[in-house]
Amino acid sequence: MQKLGDFKLPHFFNYPPYFTLQPVRDTREKQVQLWKELILDYCRTQKIFVIGLEEDFPLFSNAVIERSLTHEAREAFLSALVSEAGRAEWLDKGHRKCLILWHRIQDWADIILHFVKDNGLEDSVITVEEMRSGIECRGTELHGIDRTILMRALKLLEQKGKLAIFKGTSADDEGVKFSM
Amino acid sequence: MRRRPGIGGLQNAAAARDQYRMLGENVAKIRTDMMKEQLATFRSQLEEFARKHKNDIRKNPAFRSQFHEMCAKVGVDPLASNKGFWAELLGIGDFYYELGVQIVDICLATRPHNGGLINLQELCNLLRQRRKSDREAVSEDDCLRAISKLKAQGFVTVDEVERRLSWTSGRAIDALDTLLDEGLAMIDDGHKDGRRRYWFPCVSSISTSVADT
Repeated sequence: MQKLGDFKLPHFFNYPPYFTLQPVRDTREKQVQLWKELILDYCRTQKIFVIGLEEDFPLFSNAVIERSLTHEAREAFLSALVSEAGRAEWLDKGHRKCLILWHRIQDWADIILHFVKDNGLEDSVITVEEMRSGIECRGTELHGIDRTILMRALKLLEQKGKLAIFKGTSADDEGVKFSM
Repeated sequence: MRRRPGIGGLQNAAAARDQYRMLGENVAKIRTDMMKEQLATFRSQLEEFARKHKNDIRKNPAFRSQFHEMCAKVGVDPLASNKGFWAELLGIGDFYYELGVQIVDICLATRPHNGGLINLQELCNLLRQRRKSDREAVSEDDCLRAISKLKAQGFVTVDEVERRLSWTSGRAIDALDTLLDEGLAMIDDGHKDGRRRYWFPCVSSISTSVADT
Protein backbone atom coordinates (compact mmCIF):
# COMPACT_ATOMS: atom_id res chain seq x y z
CA MET A 1 0.00 0.00 0.00
CA GLN A 2 1.29 3.43 -0.92
CA LYS A 3 1.90 5.85 1.90
CA LEU A 4 1.95 9.60 2.26
CA GLY A 5 4.28 9.94 5.22
CA ASP A 6 2.62 7.73 7.82
CA PHE A 7 -0.75 7.77 6.15
CA LYS A 8 -1.86 4.63 4.31
CA LEU A 9 -3.46 5.50 1.00
CA PRO A 10 -6.47 3.48 -0.18
CA HIS A 11 -6.22 1.37 -3.36
CA PHE A 12 -8.45 3.62 -5.45
CA PHE A 13 -5.89 6.42 -5.11
CA ASN A 14 -3.61 4.46 -7.47
CA TYR A 15 -6.29 3.80 -10.09
CA PRO A 16 -6.08 6.54 -12.75
CA PRO A 17 -9.81 6.85 -13.61
CA TYR A 18 -10.55 8.03 -10.07
CA PHE A 19 -8.73 11.24 -10.89
CA THR A 20 -11.24 12.04 -13.65
CA LEU A 21 -14.75 13.14 -12.77
CA GLN A 22 -16.94 10.23 -13.91
CA PRO A 23 -19.92 11.10 -16.08
CA VAL A 24 -22.11 8.09 -15.20
CA ARG A 25 -24.22 8.87 -12.15
CA ASP A 26 -23.76 5.67 -10.12
CA THR A 27 -20.04 5.59 -10.82
CA ARG A 28 -19.75 9.26 -9.90
CA GLU A 29 -21.55 8.72 -6.58
CA LYS A 30 -19.18 5.94 -5.64
CA GLN A 31 -16.21 8.06 -6.68
CA VAL A 32 -17.36 11.06 -4.65
CA GLN A 33 -17.99 8.90 -1.59
CA LEU A 34 -14.48 7.44 -1.73
CA TRP A 35 -12.87 10.85 -2.10
CA LYS A 36 -14.94 12.37 0.73
CA GLU A 37 -13.84 9.63 3.10
CA LEU A 38 -10.22 9.93 2.04
CA ILE A 39 -10.18 13.71 2.51
CA LEU A 40 -11.73 13.48 5.97
CA ASP A 41 -9.43 10.67 7.11
CA TYR A 42 -6.34 12.43 5.86
CA CYS A 43 -7.23 15.78 7.44
CA ARG A 44 -8.11 14.10 10.71
CA THR A 45 -4.81 12.22 10.98
CA GLN A 46 -2.68 15.12 9.77
CA LYS A 47 -4.67 17.74 11.74
CA ILE A 48 -5.41 19.79 8.65
CA PHE A 49 -8.25 22.27 9.03
CA VAL A 50 -8.22 24.23 5.80
CA ILE A 51 -7.75 23.08 2.21
CA GLY A 52 -6.79 25.61 -0.45
CA LEU A 53 -8.03 24.46 -3.86
CA GLU A 54 -5.27 26.14 -5.73
CA GLU A 55 -2.55 24.89 -3.43
CA ASP A 56 -0.47 21.73 -3.49
CA PHE A 57 -2.64 19.63 -1.24
CA PRO A 58 -0.97 16.18 -1.28
CA LEU A 59 -4.16 14.27 -2.06
CA PHE A 60 -4.83 16.30 -5.19
CA SER A 61 -2.18 14.52 -7.20
CA ASN A 62 -0.46 11.16 -7.38
CA ALA A 63 2.99 11.40 -8.94
CA VAL A 64 3.32 7.62 -9.16
CA ILE A 65 0.48 7.27 -11.67
CA GLU A 66 0.99 10.79 -13.08
CA ARG A 67 -2.51 12.01 -12.41
CA SER A 68 -3.89 15.19 -10.82
CA LEU A 69 -7.40 16.29 -9.94
CA THR A 70 -8.66 19.15 -12.10
CA HIS A 71 -9.96 22.24 -10.35
CA GLU A 72 -13.47 21.10 -11.26
CA ALA A 73 -12.94 17.73 -9.61
CA ARG A 74 -11.46 19.27 -6.45
CA GLU A 75 -14.43 21.58 -6.16
CA ALA A 76 -16.88 18.74 -6.80
CA PHE A 77 -15.49 16.58 -4.00
CA LEU A 78 -15.20 19.41 -1.50
CA SER A 79 -18.67 20.69 -2.37
CA ALA A 80 -19.98 17.23 -1.64
CA LEU A 81 -18.37 17.45 1.80
CA VAL A 82 -19.89 20.89 2.32
CA SER A 83 -23.30 19.47 1.40
CA GLU A 84 -22.94 16.89 4.12
CA ALA A 85 -24.22 19.10 6.94
CA GLY A 86 -21.57 20.19 9.36
CA ARG A 87 -18.63 18.45 7.67
CA ALA A 88 -17.07 21.34 5.78
CA GLU A 89 -17.65 24.97 4.86
CA TRP A 90 -16.46 27.28 2.13
CA LEU A 91 -14.50 30.15 3.62
CA ASP A 92 -14.96 32.38 0.58
CA LYS A 93 -17.53 32.93 -2.17
CA GLY A 94 -14.98 32.00 -4.82
CA HIS A 95 -14.67 28.50 -3.31
CA ARG A 96 -10.92 28.77 -3.03
CA LYS A 97 -10.61 27.76 0.61
CA CYS A 98 -12.54 25.09 2.45
CA LEU A 99 -12.78 24.58 6.20
CA ILE A 100 -12.73 20.87 7.03
CA LEU A 101 -14.70 19.75 10.08
CA TRP A 102 -13.43 16.24 10.66
CA HIS A 103 -14.80 16.90 14.12
CA ARG A 104 -18.11 18.69 13.85
CA ILE A 105 -18.47 21.95 15.80
CA GLN A 106 -20.58 20.10 18.38
CA ASP A 107 -17.80 17.51 18.80
CA TRP A 108 -15.28 20.28 19.39
CA ALA A 109 -17.61 21.82 21.96
CA ASP A 110 -17.69 18.48 23.83
CA ILE A 111 -13.90 18.25 23.67
CA ILE A 112 -13.65 21.73 25.20
CA LEU A 113 -15.98 20.74 28.03
CA HIS A 114 -13.85 17.67 28.80
CA PHE A 115 -10.74 19.83 28.70
CA VAL A 116 -12.25 22.24 31.22
CA LYS A 117 -13.22 19.41 33.58
CA ASP A 118 -9.91 17.60 33.23
CA ASN A 119 -7.99 20.74 34.17
CA GLY A 120 -10.33 21.98 36.88
CA LEU A 121 -11.07 25.20 35.03
CA GLU A 122 -14.79 25.31 35.83
CA ASP A 123 -14.67 28.72 37.46
CA SER A 124 -11.56 30.00 35.77
CA VAL A 125 -10.53 32.32 33.04
CA ILE A 126 -8.25 31.37 30.19
CA THR A 127 -7.28 33.10 26.95
CA VAL A 128 -8.39 31.67 23.66
CA GLU A 129 -4.76 31.44 22.63
CA GLU A 130 -3.85 29.45 25.72
CA MET A 131 -6.63 27.00 24.94
CA ARG A 132 -4.98 26.10 21.67
CA SER A 133 -1.30 26.51 22.46
CA GLY A 134 -0.84 26.67 26.22
CA ILE A 135 0.75 24.01 28.37
CA GLU A 136 -2.53 22.43 29.48
CA CYS A 137 -3.62 21.67 25.96
CA ARG A 138 -0.45 19.81 24.95
CA GLY A 139 -1.27 16.22 24.15
CA THR A 140 -4.97 17.01 23.78
CA GLU A 141 -6.99 17.42 20.62
CA LEU A 142 -7.22 21.15 21.24
CA HIS A 143 -3.54 21.62 20.63
CA GLY A 144 -3.09 23.45 17.34
CA ILE A 145 -6.81 23.68 16.61
CA ASP A 146 -7.80 26.17 13.96
CA ARG A 147 -8.77 29.48 15.55
CA THR A 148 -11.93 29.89 13.48
CA ILE A 149 -13.16 26.47 14.54
CA LEU A 150 -12.30 27.10 18.18
CA MET A 151 -14.23 30.39 18.19
CA ARG A 152 -17.25 28.71 16.62
CA ALA A 153 -17.25 25.98 19.26
CA LEU A 154 -16.84 28.54 22.03
CA LYS A 155 -19.71 30.60 20.66
CA LEU A 156 -21.88 27.51 20.62
CA LEU A 157 -21.06 26.90 24.29
CA GLU A 158 -21.66 30.58 25.05
CA GLN A 159 -25.15 30.25 23.62
CA LYS A 160 -25.72 27.35 25.99
CA GLY A 161 -24.60 29.46 28.91
CA LYS A 162 -21.49 27.40 29.65
CA LEU A 163 -19.08 30.25 29.27
CA ALA A 164 -18.65 33.89 28.38
CA ILE A 165 -16.24 35.21 25.77
CA PHE A 166 -14.72 38.62 26.39
CA LYS A 167 -12.28 40.77 24.56
CA GLY A 168 -8.98 41.80 26.02
CA THR A 169 -6.80 44.67 24.91
CA SER A 170 -6.07 43.06 21.55
CA ALA A 171 -7.19 40.08 19.50
CA ASP A 172 -4.53 38.01 21.22
CA ASP A 173 -6.11 38.64 24.56
CA GLU A 174 -9.54 37.28 23.82
CA GLY A 175 -10.53 35.30 26.87
CA VAL A 176 -13.08 32.86 28.13
CA LYS A 177 -14.71 32.65 31.53
CA PHE A 178 -16.29 29.31 32.26
CA SER A 179 -19.40 28.96 34.37
CA MET A 180 -20.07 25.26 34.48
CA MET B 1 36.21 -34.41 10.98
CA ARG B 2 37.52 -35.53 14.31
CA ARG B 3 36.49 -33.20 17.12
CA ARG B 4 39.25 -31.72 19.18
CA PRO B 5 38.60 -30.23 22.60
CA GLY B 6 39.47 -26.63 23.55
CA ILE B 7 39.69 -23.33 21.67
CA GLY B 8 41.95 -24.78 18.99
CA GLY B 9 39.27 -27.34 18.25
CA LEU B 10 36.61 -24.65 17.97
CA GLN B 11 38.71 -22.55 15.59
CA ASN B 12 39.32 -25.51 13.36
CA ALA B 13 35.66 -26.32 13.24
CA ALA B 14 34.85 -22.71 12.31
CA ALA B 15 37.52 -22.66 9.58
CA ALA B 16 36.21 -25.92 8.20
CA ARG B 17 32.64 -24.55 8.12
CA ASP B 18 33.85 -21.49 6.24
CA GLN B 19 35.62 -23.59 3.65
CA TYR B 20 32.58 -25.78 3.12
CA ARG B 21 30.43 -22.69 2.74
CA MET B 22 32.74 -21.16 0.13
CA LEU B 23 32.81 -24.42 -1.74
CA GLY B 24 29.04 -24.54 -1.63
CA GLU B 25 28.79 -20.97 -2.98
CA ASN B 26 31.13 -21.78 -5.83
CA VAL B 27 29.16 -24.84 -6.74
CA ALA B 28 25.96 -22.81 -6.68
CA LYS B 29 27.52 -20.17 -8.93
CA ILE B 30 28.69 -22.76 -11.43
CA ARG B 31 25.25 -24.33 -11.49
CA THR B 32 23.61 -20.94 -11.99
CA ASP B 33 25.90 -20.06 -14.86
CA MET B 34 25.27 -23.39 -16.50
CA MET B 35 21.55 -22.99 -16.12
CA LYS B 36 21.66 -19.51 -17.61
CA GLU B 37 23.48 -20.86 -20.61
CA GLN B 38 21.03 -23.70 -20.97
CA LEU B 39 18.11 -21.32 -20.78
CA ALA B 40 19.62 -19.06 -23.44
CA THR B 41 20.08 -22.07 -25.70
CA PHE B 42 16.56 -23.24 -24.96
CA ARG B 43 15.13 -19.83 -25.76
CA SER B 44 16.74 -19.63 -29.16
CA GLN B 45 15.62 -23.17 -29.93
CA LEU B 46 12.12 -22.18 -28.86
CA GLU B 47 12.20 -19.28 -31.30
CA GLU B 48 13.34 -21.64 -34.04
CA PHE B 49 10.49 -24.00 -33.15
CA ALA B 50 7.97 -21.17 -33.24
CA ARG B 51 9.16 -20.12 -36.70
CA LYS B 52 8.83 -23.63 -38.06
CA HIS B 53 5.42 -24.35 -36.57
CA LYS B 54 3.81 -20.95 -36.91
CA ASN B 55 0.79 -22.31 -38.74
CA ASP B 56 0.18 -25.14 -36.33
CA ILE B 57 0.33 -22.73 -33.43
CA ARG B 58 -2.23 -20.49 -35.10
CA LYS B 59 -4.64 -23.17 -36.24
CA ASN B 60 -4.54 -25.87 -33.58
CA PRO B 61 -5.75 -24.98 -30.06
CA ALA B 62 -4.24 -28.05 -28.38
CA PHE B 63 -0.88 -27.47 -30.02
CA ARG B 64 -1.13 -23.78 -29.14
CA SER B 65 -1.79 -24.61 -25.50
CA GLN B 66 1.24 -26.87 -25.24
CA PHE B 67 3.36 -24.26 -26.94
CA HIS B 68 2.31 -21.73 -24.29
CA GLU B 69 3.28 -24.18 -21.57
CA MET B 70 6.70 -24.65 -23.08
CA CYS B 71 7.16 -20.89 -23.22
CA ALA B 72 6.06 -20.46 -19.64
CA LYS B 73 8.66 -22.99 -18.52
CA VAL B 74 11.45 -20.78 -19.78
CA GLY B 75 9.90 -17.49 -18.79
CA VAL B 76 8.84 -16.40 -22.26
CA ASP B 77 5.46 -14.72 -22.60
CA PRO B 78 4.53 -14.40 -26.27
CA LEU B 79 1.61 -12.20 -25.30
CA ALA B 80 3.54 -9.83 -23.08
CA SER B 81 3.77 -7.15 -25.70
CA ASN B 82 2.39 -6.40 -29.13
CA LYS B 83 5.78 -5.36 -30.36
CA GLY B 84 8.97 -7.31 -30.80
CA PHE B 85 9.94 -10.75 -31.96
CA TRP B 86 7.09 -12.83 -30.66
CA ALA B 87 4.27 -10.53 -31.65
CA GLU B 88 5.60 -10.12 -35.18
CA LEU B 89 6.42 -13.77 -35.65
CA LEU B 90 3.16 -15.16 -34.47
CA GLY B 91 0.77 -12.23 -34.72
CA ILE B 92 -1.27 -13.87 -32.01
CA GLY B 93 -1.51 -10.78 -29.81
CA ASP B 94 -4.35 -9.43 -31.87
CA PHE B 95 -6.12 -12.77 -31.81
CA TYR B 96 -6.28 -12.74 -28.01
CA TYR B 97 -7.16 -9.09 -27.93
CA GLU B 98 -10.13 -9.62 -30.19
CA LEU B 99 -11.13 -12.64 -28.16
CA GLY B 100 -11.02 -10.51 -25.03
CA VAL B 101 -13.36 -7.94 -26.50
CA GLN B 102 -15.78 -10.65 -27.63
CA ILE B 103 -15.73 -12.18 -24.20
CA VAL B 104 -16.59 -8.88 -22.55
CA ASP B 105 -19.37 -8.50 -25.08
CA ILE B 106 -20.81 -11.93 -24.26
CA CYS B 107 -20.58 -11.35 -20.54
CA LEU B 108 -22.46 -8.10 -20.96
CA ALA B 109 -25.16 -9.72 -23.05
CA THR B 110 -25.70 -12.63 -20.66
CA ARG B 111 -25.56 -10.59 -17.47
CA PRO B 112 -29.36 -10.14 -17.19
CA HIS B 113 -29.73 -13.94 -17.33
CA ASN B 114 -26.92 -15.08 -15.10
CA GLY B 115 -26.34 -12.10 -12.85
CA GLY B 116 -22.76 -11.70 -14.01
CA LEU B 117 -21.40 -15.19 -13.39
CA ILE B 118 -20.82 -17.39 -16.39
CA ASN B 119 -19.50 -20.93 -16.59
CA LEU B 120 -16.28 -21.20 -18.62
CA GLN B 121 -17.65 -23.97 -20.83
CA GLU B 122 -20.76 -21.99 -21.64
CA LEU B 123 -18.66 -18.93 -22.39
CA CYS B 124 -16.57 -20.93 -24.86
CA ASN B 125 -19.64 -22.38 -26.54
CA LEU B 126 -21.15 -18.96 -27.02
CA LEU B 127 -17.82 -17.73 -28.29
CA ARG B 128 -17.51 -20.56 -30.83
CA GLN B 129 -21.04 -19.91 -32.04
CA ARG B 130 -20.19 -16.29 -32.64
CA ARG B 131 -17.00 -17.15 -34.43
CA LYS B 132 -18.45 -20.01 -36.52
CA SER B 133 -17.52 -18.36 -39.78
CA ASP B 134 -14.15 -17.33 -38.42
CA ARG B 135 -10.74 -18.62 -39.09
CA GLU B 136 -9.18 -19.91 -35.91
CA ALA B 137 -10.73 -22.40 -33.50
CA VAL B 138 -10.99 -21.36 -29.87
CA SER B 139 -10.39 -23.40 -26.73
CA GLU B 140 -11.09 -22.80 -23.05
CA ASP B 141 -7.40 -22.29 -22.60
CA ASP B 142 -7.55 -19.48 -25.17
CA CYS B 143 -10.40 -17.88 -23.22
CA LEU B 144 -8.42 -17.83 -20.01
CA ARG B 145 -5.41 -16.36 -21.75
CA ALA B 146 -7.49 -13.66 -23.41
CA ILE B 147 -9.00 -12.72 -20.07
CA SER B 148 -5.68 -12.49 -18.32
CA LYS B 149 -4.30 -10.36 -21.15
CA LEU B 150 -7.26 -8.00 -20.82
CA LYS B 151 -6.65 -7.86 -17.10
CA ALA B 152 -2.96 -7.09 -17.52
CA GLN B 153 -3.38 -3.90 -19.45
CA GLY B 154 -6.64 -2.83 -17.87
CA PHE B 155 -7.50 -0.07 -20.31
CA VAL B 156 -7.99 0.82 -24.00
CA THR B 157 -8.07 3.94 -26.10
CA VAL B 158 -10.55 4.60 -28.90
CA ASP B 159 -7.71 4.47 -31.44
CA GLU B 160 -6.65 1.03 -30.29
CA VAL B 161 -10.14 -0.39 -30.59
CA GLU B 162 -10.55 1.11 -34.05
CA ARG B 163 -7.23 -0.19 -35.24
CA ARG B 164 -7.41 -3.69 -33.86
CA LEU B 165 -10.99 -4.46 -34.69
CA SER B 166 -11.14 -2.37 -37.86
CA TRP B 167 -14.12 -0.45 -36.57
CA THR B 168 -15.09 3.11 -37.40
CA SER B 169 -14.51 5.76 -34.79
CA GLY B 170 -18.24 6.09 -34.18
CA ARG B 171 -18.69 2.38 -33.59
CA ALA B 172 -15.73 2.22 -31.23
CA ILE B 173 -16.96 5.14 -29.16
CA ASP B 174 -20.51 3.73 -29.06
CA ALA B 175 -19.27 0.39 -27.82
CA LEU B 176 -17.03 1.94 -25.18
CA ASP B 177 -19.72 4.37 -24.04
CA THR B 178 -22.14 1.48 -23.69
CA LEU B 179 -19.72 -0.26 -21.35
CA LEU B 180 -19.34 3.06 -19.53
CA ASP B 181 -23.10 3.42 -19.04
CA GLU B 182 -23.35 -0.14 -17.79
CA GLY B 183 -20.88 0.71 -15.06
CA LEU B 184 -18.29 -1.69 -16.53
CA ALA B 185 -15.80 0.97 -17.54
CA MET B 186 -14.44 4.25 -16.20
CA ILE B 187 -12.94 7.15 -18.15
CA ASP B 188 -9.49 8.57 -17.60
CA ASP B 189 -8.68 11.94 -19.18
CA GLY B 190 -5.57 12.60 -17.18
CA HIS B 191 -2.82 11.14 -19.34
CA LYS B 192 -0.40 13.71 -20.70
CA ASP B 193 -1.00 12.54 -24.27
CA GLY B 194 -4.51 13.95 -23.93
CA ARG B 195 -6.18 10.75 -25.16
CA ARG B 196 -9.12 9.43 -23.26
CA ARG B 197 -8.65 5.97 -21.79
CA TYR B 198 -11.40 3.55 -20.84
CA TRP B 199 -10.49 1.40 -17.85
CA PHE B 200 -12.16 -1.90 -16.96
CA PRO B 201 -12.26 -2.53 -13.22
CA CYS B 202 -14.87 -5.23 -13.96
CA VAL B 203 -12.35 -7.41 -15.78
CA SER B 204 -10.84 -8.70 -12.57
CA SER B 205 -14.27 -9.90 -11.42
CA ILE B 206 -14.89 -11.58 -14.78
CA SER B 207 -11.60 -13.45 -14.56
CA THR B 208 -12.31 -14.50 -10.99
CA SER B 209 -15.73 -15.96 -11.70
CA VAL B 210 -14.61 -17.66 -14.92
CA ALA B 211 -11.54 -19.14 -13.22
CA ASP B 212 -13.70 -20.61 -10.47
CA THR B 213 -15.48 -23.01 -12.86
